[in-house]
Amino acid sequence: MGGHTFGIGLDIGSTTAKGVLIDETRKILAQHIQSMGASAAAAGREVLGVLTEVSGVQASDHKIVGTGYGRAMIEKSSENVTEITCHSIGVNSLNPDIRMLVDVGGQDSKVIRISSGGRPTDFEINDKCSAGTGRFLEVMAHVLEVSINELGPLALQSESPSKISSTCTVFAESEVVGRIGSGDSPADIAAGVHMAMASKIGTLAKRVGIIKPVGLTGGVALNPAFRHYLSENLEAEIWIPELPQLTGALGAAILALQ
Amino acid sequence: MIAVTEQKKEKAYRLLKSSALLQQIMFRYMMEGQIASEEGNLAWVTSGFPVEIPVAMNIGISYPEQYGAVVGSQRMGPELCGFAEGLGYSQELCSYARSSIGSVKHPDQSPLGGLPTPQALLACNNICGTVLRWYDTVSELTGAPVFLLDTPPLEGEQPEHHRDYVRKGLDKLVDFLEQVFGKPLADERMQEVALYSTEAVGLWTQCLEACKAKPSPLNCADRFLTMAPIVSLRGTDYVKDFYVSLLAEVKERISNGVGAIKEEKIRLLWDNIPPWFTIFRFFNGLAKRGVVFPADTYTHAWTGSIEGDNLFDSVVSIYSNVYLNKGLDAKIDKMCQLIQNYDLDGFIMFSVRSCKRYSLGQLVSKELVTERTGVPGVVIEGDMVDSRLFNEAQIQMRVDALLEMFA
Amino acid sequence: MVIRMSYSRVVEQSDQAIRELTEAGEQILGYIYPHFPLEIAMAHGLLPSLVRTSPSAGGGYESSLQTFACSLTRNIFSQRASGHLTTFSGIVFSGNTCDSLQNVGEVWRKRFPDDKTFRLTYPAAIPSESSVTFLAEELRKFSVAIDSEFKMPFSEELFKDAVALISEIRESLQMLYAARVLSPKLLEYSTLSSLITGFLTAPTTSVLDNVLEIRSSTMEDLEMQVDRDLVSELQNAFLRKDLMDIGKFDESISIRLLLVGGMIETNALSEFLKSVPNFSEDMIILDLLSYGFKTAFTPSISLVGDPFENSARAILGSLGEPTQEGLSDRVRFLKEILSKLSINGLIICEQSFCDPDEFEAPSLARAAEDLQVPSVRLPIDPELSDRVRLEGRIQTFLETLM
Repeated sequence: MGGHTFGIGLDIGSTTAKGVLIDETRKILAQHIQSMGASAAAAGREVLGVLTEVSGVQASDHKIVGTGYGRAMIEKSSENVTEITCHSIGVNSLNPDIRMLVDVGGQDSKVIRISSGGRPTDFEINDKCSAGTGRFLEVMAHVLEVSINELGPLALQSESPSKISSTCTVFAESEVVGRIGSGDSPADIAAGVHMAMASKIGTLAKRVGIIKPVGLTGGVALNPAFRHYLSENLEAEIWIPELPQLTGALGAAILALQ
Repeated sequence: MIAVTEQKKEKAYRLLKSSALLQQIMFRYMMEGQIASEEGNLAWVTSGFPVEIPVAMNIGISYPEQYGAVVGSQRMGPELCGFAEGLGYSQELCSYARSSIGSVKHPDQSPLGGLPTPQALLACNNICGTVLRWYDTVSELTGAPVFLLDTPPLEGEQPEHHRDYVRKGLDKLVDFLEQVFGKPLADERMQEVALYSTEAVGLWTQCLEACKAKPSPLNCADRFLTMAPIVSLRGTDYVKDFYVSLLAEVKERISNGVGAIKEEKIRLLWDNIPPWFTIFRFFNGLAKRGVVFPADTYTHAWTGSIEGDNLFDSVVSIYSNVYLNKGLDAKIDKMCQLIQNYDLDGFIMFSVRSCKRYSLGQLVSKELVTERTGVPGVVIEGDMVDSRLFNEAQIQMRVDALLEMFA
Repeated sequence: MVIRMSYSRVVEQSDQAIRELTEAGEQILGYIYPHFPLEIAMAHGLLPSLVRTSPSAGGGYESSLQTFACSLTRNIFSQRASGHLTTFSGIVFSGNTCDSLQNVGEVWRKRFPDDKTFRLTYPAAIPSESSVTFLAEELRKFSVAIDSEFKMPFSEELFKDAVALISEIRESLQMLYAARVLSPKLLEYSTLSSLITGFLTAPTTSVLDNVLEIRSSTMEDLEMQVDRDLVSELQNAFLRKDLMDIGKFDESISIRLLLVGGMIETNALSEFLKSVPNFSEDMIILDLLSYGFKTAFTPSISLVGDPFENSARAILGSLGEPTQEGLSDRVRFLKEILSKLSINGLIICEQSFCDPDEFEAPSLARAAEDLQVPSVRLPIDPELSDRVRLEGRIQTFLETLM
């Protein structure tokens, strides 16, 4: 392959903007995550600035592949590719044994089947309902009056999770309020919330067909309770990359090399 | 000590003595379905299907809608619906259908091990259009052929070309059943079955009408449970025994001035299928507050008698004219009649997300029924089997607001 | 030569045409279910026009319909509730097609009692002689109802004219469908769908002129590439619902897509698809949508015998809808198309909260899977309210096919 010397991937998501810069051996020279501001274009510029500073490579001179919610808004990107393809390629480069990937971001959850070559061959995305997304956990953390980072560890303290059956964020919110009212412990409720979310994503996974081991990426992968309940729901071991939020940008950077 | 006191204290609602018999007869129905399936002689039917015809041909019968109620009551809805969603069926679809599809796929994880495997699927669209698509899916999963008895919905009187069309559908049904099960239909047997069906329907109608009494001898949940045989065993010889017994109990309650609930203060009409997963909690909770439901639109759907010189023509008329196959005006009329005849103070309409045929139109009919009868009503939204779509807090608030109107 | 005609221009033209026709005293009869007896309405001197969904219909339905009414009916109801749809002299709802449409028709009557509304009930069972008889009687009843409402009797003369006009438009559209299958680059899908939109908006002679113009230029171009007989052979095969082997296809097109689903507006869909990166209209080999293929491939009405019976026969002769019995036949036809036309990607559109679409979709996906054709489901509503995610679905789907 002709190939480029450096590849840059920008993943402009709904809550965070991510960037990765790699060299032709796919070695990561710079990586960066920041929260999304109001403008996708501005976030893209900022991330590029950081990548340039850290790597010493003038990022805007090289091929950039954009992905994520704001992929169409990125200036200077030579191509835009969906995060499904990017996550597949990113994960494949880190762990070629993964055939099925669950990616849970702020607004979306996806289940992806990955070919041995790293390309997606089948996928499912959540519909309009946000019950299986990071946003769902944020809303529930708010109701339970804990920070989003505390929610997972709190849930893991539970011995008998509450039954949260609603898969609609609005319904689940009042269900959680109801549980608080009937005296369930915050830990049990938090566990119930994670179980409900794992079950919603489990349904998507069943549509695609579960192949073990299952990879998990996206910001929600950092949540230990979600990992636990997803593993339980899918009856599968879960593999998580070191920086699960960056695999999309990594995949985009690899595409930029090609 | 405390336990003893609680036992002595009279409950807000009273259990029916006939429940024991109900259990026996439903157990028999289940066993017969199982045996029929093993013998290659079982058809699944929709609740509004002219079941008298397959029964007269000695074909065993199972009712997936009733099974849906069982799934709901056992609170297995979310799990079984989830199986269907895993196959690609949207959560926006009917939860009877979803839980049924889920149980066909995973009988081992379903109540009673799932319904016995069918050899034919008999759908009549007089209750909704969904039944055809649901049975088509079950057909893909089981290989059993589907027969659709098409009963186009009516506006007012049934026109002649509708009657002819449905009548021809019945002929096709007989041909279909003869072909699948290799059994002919004998006139005498059809007459016998029609007679059993009519007798049972007559007794059931008397039980329903007895609820005009004050206090009402039956509450909503009572009727929803005791309607099981009229839905699933119409046309059998033993169904009558149950309704004789139920009617006797109802009459006894009336003559002793005993109501279905301890203290009847408010009489309401219920519209639509109940939330099976919380049926006791919901109705008994209201019973504690003196609210009884002497009538509902749902259990009144099985009140047509097959009689006259031409039984098939009678079948055409009865099954085309069921409540859900008529227009909004007929539904509004029926609600107003029930409110007047049963002297009801108000009504609750359950907007069931699963059931578009029953529910779309409720917002308008609520206004019109109040306008005509002068009694208030409320619409609550949820589902009959999928408890994930039921927001108890929101529903409670709406019901409370209605009850406050009577204070 | 590639024929380009912007869709918006066509819609504008047809909207304008409708306005002009109304101003000229023409009475417009709106319908929603696609298998409408156009010729019978025209025999009464009425101009039939599809009640189109509006991408900008906000709300307005909330006090009359629950949120789980299908998105199509909610959209149309909202338009009416906010004072639109005034060009229609009457609206026809279908009975026995789906529960939403039927009940919404009844709610409509209560909410807008001054509107002239009609119900035309269709048989749901697999077409047979008894369903033809049933529909013929429904059409007769409908004709009587129109006469009594508008005081415009059925005219044999107008009926014949209508049959001639509609048959010619349909046959030309069929030819274009067949030609596109053989050579998708000859005619943009959006142009074809805009022709159909024009036809659905008002089957007039100017629509026919439009169709004929594009037909002749397309056929001229096509003849340079393939045998004209092959086009009519394919056209007839579609009408018979029995495909033959067609042989070689344009090898420069590597992604060959089929669009399926129910009552989705083909023009809105093609406009949406065009906005997806890496998508090209050449990729769409065929659609089997109600307001597309099924509108074009309705057999012509015979003029010998009873007009109502002949109309019923023609209507029931088109490809079945997911509202009807006959899932296994539809699946069989789909499989035939997938394999004979070498389709390698299936896009299954489903109207939000549409029972028939949502029940049918998994069966269609399984059928494609049997043939190892990848498929993607597109849960869509007229407002494209989930547009970003829908674009993501299609873009990803294309990436999986590349």
